[in-house]
Amino acid sequence: MDIGELETTAALAQIDLGNGDLERLGEAVSQMLAHFEKMNTVDTEGLEPTTHALVRDNRVRADDVTPSPLADAMIDQAPEREDRFFVIPNVL
Amino acid sequence: MSAPVVSPWKQFQTKKEAYLAYANPWEKKIGSFLSFRPETPAPATPGPLAGLPFGVKDNIAVEGFPLTCGSKMLANVISPYDATVVARLKAAGAVVIGKTNLDEFGMGSSTDNSALGVTHNPWDITRVPGGSSGGSAAAVAAGLVPFALGTDTGGSVRQPASFCGVYGFKPTYGVLSRYGLTAYASSLECPGILSADLALVQSVFEAARGRDLNDQTSLDYEPQAPRPVKTIAVLGDLSDLHPDVRAVYDQTLGHLKALGYTLLTVNLPSLEFAVPAYYTIATAEASANLARFNGIRYGHRPVYSENHEDLVRKSRTEGFGNEVKTRIMLGTYVLRSGFQDQYYTKAQKVRTLIRRDLQKVFDQADLLLSPTFPTPAFVHGDQTMTEFQQKLADKSTVTANLAGVPALSFPAGLSSGLPIGMQLTAPAFGEPRLFEVAAQFATRVPVVPCPGTSLDWSK
Repeated sequence: MDIGELETTAALAQIDLGNGDLERLGEAVSQMLAHFEKMNTVDTEGLEPTTHALVRDNRVRADDVTPSPLADAMIDQAPEREDRFFVIPNVL
Repeated sequence: MSAPVVSPWKQFQTKKEAYLAYANPWEKKIGSFLSFRPETPAPATPGPLAGLPFGVKDNIAVEGFPLTCGSKMLANVISPYDATVVARLKAAGAVVIGKTNLDEFGMGSSTDNSALGVTHNPWDITRVPGGSSGGSAAAVAAGLVPFALGTDTGGSVRQPASFCGVYGFKPTYGVLSRYGLTAYASSLECPGILSADLALVQSVFEAARGRDLNDQTSLDYEPQAPRPVKTIAVLGDLSDLHPDVRAVYDQTLGHLKALGYTLLTVNLPSLEFAVPAYYTIATAEASANLARFNGIRYGHRPVYSENHEDLVRKSRTEGFGNEVKTRIMLGTYVLRSGFQDQYYTKAQKVRTLIRRDLQKVFDQADLLLSPTFPTPAFVHGDQTMTEFQQKLADKSTVTANLAGVPALSFPAGLSSGLPIGMQLTAPAFGEPRLFEVAAQFATRVPVVPCPGTSLDWSK
């Protein structure tokens, strides 16, 4: 993968690549991608893709209000919050 | 409900002082836990696992314990709830006494990718315990817990079990709920069980399994009608095995024949595409699943950030280790518009092919046998076992995840003083076959405890 592709992919993944990373991760990613190419040597014409090995049915529950006692405990984990709101840097 | 488990570990609650005198030096030597709280009282539940302590891989939620996933990203997160499998084991009377080390987010085969600690193999502390459930395998092998939970996305329960000389069981996909498991590759991963006691693996499985309203993909356990295992398939083309693994594999074939099983040589032509298909799917799913870690709601946040986007990028850049970044990048790339058909859809079609090939094997045989991993436990930093080489070596284990079928790594013997595991794979819901053959095998080759381990503290 060339540097431009690598940088585009990193931007999409929301990861900054420093100089050392660009080389190290770039090499690891390219090596795996080259290995993935091996799949193109096998004929899969007419085969359906498998998304999940063993899904039986779509499961639904009654559309009732159910308690969600975890909310406060989850919000308590926030790195920065005000009351029940997460704080992020000013948008404007 | 099944009969209570018979185990010296039933004494754990009343012999804690003696236990700690045994466990603390071991733990100091191997570093299997990221949090270790043996003082945690057992639930007052008269279940089949009453009083039994256990360890839980630190990517599975246990209320009040950290849930670090071995990552700087989540180093300060405390779980406010129990994963379903943990809740069910607690309801059966068992007690969590610690969270075990792992490769960051379950990505690796050595546990050396943990950002929060180093774990050594109890058989030889210069060697890795395997991964990604390396802490669970090491803790069990050192006799610090009678069993531990791990997670298995591509072999992460079975491979460390092989390296540490214990059983490592990956059930049929869906039978153990994934609720409370930090998602890495949702269509492949499931909780698994590690123990040196095969009967205990079965008791834990029985207590933890079944459909769960909180996991859409969970399934009730529908075991196949029991029938004695007669034929075991073996692979015709087994190359690249370490000589020690080859030796134990050949001995295993001899033992299975002596036990009266018919060995049938088969070919799995799609096997050579299993690793690329697996890593395409796993990294694609990882890139989506790990998008949630952004420093806003929980987890690592940078000291300063300019704006929202900067906050997210810095959190991820600072919080994730190299292997995690590599896999997120790969997954992002294979899902990019224009590349999807070439990689992701192709991999899913290869997955269909692998399932078909495996089904053909199970049309002729009851089980499939292979080495769990082509090498014994390797030394920390082994230059011949690069991250890339470790991925290639996942060939035997990833097949079960791609097909959603159960598999068991069992201790098959020692070579050069290190334990070597062999793997049995069964069709979906064929768990009883795995347990039957592994139990028969143990009548000829009993599990060898790791040197220096003991249960004397329980007396």
